[in-house]
Amino acid sequence: MTTASSAPQAPPIESRGYARPEVLVSTEWVAGHLKDPAVRLVESDEDLLLYETGHIPGAVKIDWVTDLNDPVQRDYLDRTRFQALLRARGINADTTIVFYGDKNNWWATYAFWVFRLFGVEKLKVMDGGRARWVDEGRPMNTEVPAYPAGTITVAERNDSAIRSFRNEVLAHVQGRGQLVDVRSPEEYTGQRMHMPDYPNEGALRGGHIPGARSIPWARAVNPDTHCFRPASELKQLYQEEQGLSPDKETIAYCRIGERSSHSWFALTYLLGFRDVKNYDGSWTEWGNAVRLPIEK
Amino acid sequence: MPATLDKIVSRFKSADKQTRLELLLDYSKKLPSLPERFQQARDHGFNRVPECQSPVFLFLEREGTGLVLHADAPREAPTVRGFVALLAKGIQGATPGEAAALPGDLLDQLGLSEALGMTRMHGLTAMIGRVKRMAGEL
Repeated sequence: MTTASSAPQAPPIESRGYARPEVLVSTEWVAGHLKDPAVRLVESDEDLLLYETGHIPGAVKIDWVTDLNDPVQRDYLDRTRFQALLRARGINADTTIVFYGDKNNWWATYAFWVFRLFGVEKLKVMDGGRARWVDEGRPMNTEVPAYPAGTITVAERNDSAIRSFRNEVLAHVQGRGQLVDVRSPEEYTGQRMHMPDYPNEGALRGGHIPGARSIPWARAVNPDTHCFRPASELKQLYQEEQGLSPDKETIAYCRIGERSSHSWFALTYLLGFRDVKNYDGSWTEWGNAVRLPIEK
Repeated sequence: MPATLDKIVSRFKSADKQTRLELLLDYSKKLPSLPERFQQARDHGFNRVPECQSPVFLFLEREGTGLVLHADAPREAPTVRGFVALLAKGIQGATPGEAAALPGDLLDQLGLSEALGMTRMHGLTAMIGRVKRMAGEL
């Protein structure tokens, strides 16, 4: 590596045994495609203004609150507005979209998941995220790029394949289906109703959905390299320690469906689980709803 | 409301959403570093605002008849940094009574709830509460 890197080396993506390694690209790969017109870098962060303080040259910003959510109803954008969002960022049908962001790519995988609801193909995540890019001393700038309007046409949003709703989750619980709670252990046990150090975003009851296994989302990432752990370690965590089967339908949830999109990504693409859904209603719905079963 | 803060609120009120965010970003660049004398307390975790998603530390002290708010917030959290810097500027020189009486809906008045989205309001709201409480104890 030629950069002034303070980041510990991570094993090459191809060597990590993932089911679908093509969804990840390295920082090095991105550095080599900064001027590639067929590649669009998309930064998605928790902090609304982080992109403005500096980003990978040429990257556009998509914000999880102000861009992807419907401003009125608790739901995602509809097809028309989502397509307009992508076109405004110069995305065409053949554009390869590479997401990256803060907090272990938490919001990057969330954006990835939302894009998949609309059937957008050619999506990738930059392994290691913003933190790794910064640690490696790679270039950043504050210039907001302007691209000619894109021409992509997206499909109607199709929630059925990768999104779960309350009643489906309830049926899944009753059928003793596989559930993953990716929140912190304290949220899982009901000791607290929000992440440590995070505000309580309004759940009346604490605990977890009956039968859910507790596997905090960030365990899928190596904290030193910020990169995803190799498949062998992920398998150890999800399958051997927690007994999840890759062949059974799996539902992941957290508080509002953002952290669980990260686990959805790891289970689906890195471990090759057959059928994983993200329940974005998550604890802010379940912990407030009347008569839904809760386990502590 | 302290006069300076009142001015800031008017400025934000007359701006559109995008400009409000730009103003906040400007503030985030102007947050002075935490004075050396608070560093140890900060490193021991004192005066942290626990409701904030990022490690944010607030220290309020008297200087002459007025107040000064010192703060530390990470560069990776410009929204929080910006709001802390805005608060610090807004209450500089105010009396403890004025700071204790800060409006709880300051974020609404600044139009930031709308610009940032409700899910991002809790930590910032907690910060206002913290400043009010600290001022009340001075």
